[in-house]
Amino acid sequence: MSRQVDVIVAGGGSAGLAAALAAARQGADTLLIERQTKLGGMGTSALVHTFCGLFHPDVSQPWAWVNPGIAQEIGQQMLERTGQAGPELMGRVYVLRQHPTLYAQIADELCAALPHLTVLSGAEWIGLRQDGDWELEVITRGSVKKLRAPALVDTTGDATGARLCDPSWCTQAEPARLYRPAYISAFHGVTGVHDDAWRLTVGAMIVRAVRDEKLPAAAMGAGFRDSPFVGETFLTLDLEAGQGDWDPFDPVKRARVEQEGRAVTLALWRLLRAEHADFKDCAPPMLPTKAGIRETARYLGDYVITGDDLASSRRFEDEIALAAWPMEKRENARGPKFRYFDQPLPPGIPARCLKREAVPGLFFAGRCLSADHEALASLRVMGTCMATGEAAGKMAVDFALRR
Amino acid sequence: MSSISTQAVIDLIQKFHIVDTEEPLTPDSDLFSCGLDSLAMMQLMLHLERDFNVRISPAEMTRNHFASPEVLATWLSHPNRTPA
Ligand SMILES: Cc1cc2nc3c(=O)[nH]c(=O)nc-3n(C[C@H](O)[C@H](O)[C@H](O)COP(=O)(O)OP(=O)(O)OC[C@H]3O[C@@H](n4cnc5c(N)ncnc54)[C@H](O)[C@@H]3O)c2cc1C
Repeated sequence: MSRQVDVIVAGGGSAGLAAALAAARQGADTLLIERQTKLGGMGTSALVHTFCGLFHPDVSQPWAWVNPGIAQEIGQQMLERTGQAGPELMGRVYVLRQHPTLYAQIADELCAALPHLTVLSGAEWIGLRQDGDWELEVITRGSVKKLRAPALVDTTGDATGARLCDPSWCTQAEPARLYRPAYISAFHGVTGVHDDAWRLTVGAMIVRAVRDEKLPAAAMGAGFRDSPFVGETFLTLDLEAGQGDWDPFDPVKRARVEQEGRAVTLALWRLLRAEHADFKDCAPPMLPTKAGIRETARYLGDYVITGDDLASSRRFEDEIALAAWPMEKRENARGPKFRYFDQPLPPGIPARCLKREAVPGLFFAGRCLSADHEALASLRVMGTCMATGEAAGKMAVDFALRR
Repeated sequence: MSSISTQAVIDLIQKFHIVDTEEPLTPDSDLFSCGLDSLAMMQLMLHLERDFNVRISPAEMTRNHFASPEVLATWLSHPNRTPA
């Protein structure tokens, strides 16, 4: 038995959520497939806790939403539910602190309001065929189901459709340059005021412990950032993941990243509890569902947007959204390297980055859109993923209706 | 305790790619606008301690001390600092 709908959205992260909402709000019968049990992707399952890319890049001006629509709607909801008045100015950018639990709740509520939208949880997309319609195979608890639709949006972050159907539709940076994964956990019961000076002091304690061989060298990738709620602090641990040996599609290597993430996180917890008064009563950290993977494979669409396009704030006739975040390159675990736009003006993202002329009915968005490695360092942030996802959802509906 | 030259600090920053700038570092380069963030400061602290045989205590890890190669070298060489 196979199920037929108008639009299938595969992958329920920031991009897929927005794509499915956009499609179903236009009345299209829509299926959203997600292998985890929460929507929100990295923003829920990997505990990524700030929304970047939601605001106009000119920080000499008061903050302003850069893309109207679903990105703004989710941002606004997050502001209200976290009790924040607006984003924070961090250096040269506005950032919105988001809470993974509340993001999951917002996603559920937005989806539940739409009768045309069905969400499949715990369902992994494993096969793809084109026979006039797209036919997808998904596996859930040992049984394989077939799903059919004229229009398909790939928001898996991994260019899964290309990898299942024709790998020449996608590309990937060489292993040593892939943006590194990181392991994020939530610490509860950390007291004190966590300003810049505090973070540096904690950093120095970590360095000293590494030097004294009380912590593994990988602890050098640790950074703390407070949640919008008092007493909760997120630890982000950037990992080298074997550098040139890293392969995000190899489950053995992924298991090593997960294990190292947990081991180093707990070693940090033990050390700081013993040596830093603010961590004295801190419970073991809550672990993420999965490590955060920053980069895997991306599509080659009708246009490949580049770092130079973004740096020059280039605009396009067929643009569907605006970029807003600097290129935040993380090719190693020693902190980001930024390339900012030359002027504080948002560049455009063309519709051609979300489709491939020769493959009608397939659209892609989020961190697997058609961009070069450098441009991806900007376009992969969640605010921008919501905007490209929304656009891909609408393009999919247009395609399905024309058929 | 032996004094640490500004050039030695610059060399060390470059050798370990602590910051990534197009322009060469000068004694008064602003390290923070060159991209010295907290993770990079941790790397720098580790290498300073290893290469120059100094000790930097957590309380001394402040942005003032790391403002430029010259400020950093002068501070690390100050006679009041306790040797390693
Ligand atoms: C460590 C880290 C820190 C980051 N920090 C920030 C930050 O501070 N701010 C910011 O805005 N962004 C940040 N990002 C980037 C951002 O989180 C991601 O790029 C963004 O979530 C990508 O959204 P997406 O929807 O394209 O993909 P994802 O969020 O990866 O979502 C893809 C979804 O598809 C599902 N899926 C994949 N394959 C299948 C399949 N075969 N079948 C079914 N479902 C599938 C996945 O389970 C997932 O839910 C960070 C990323 C990482 C890893």
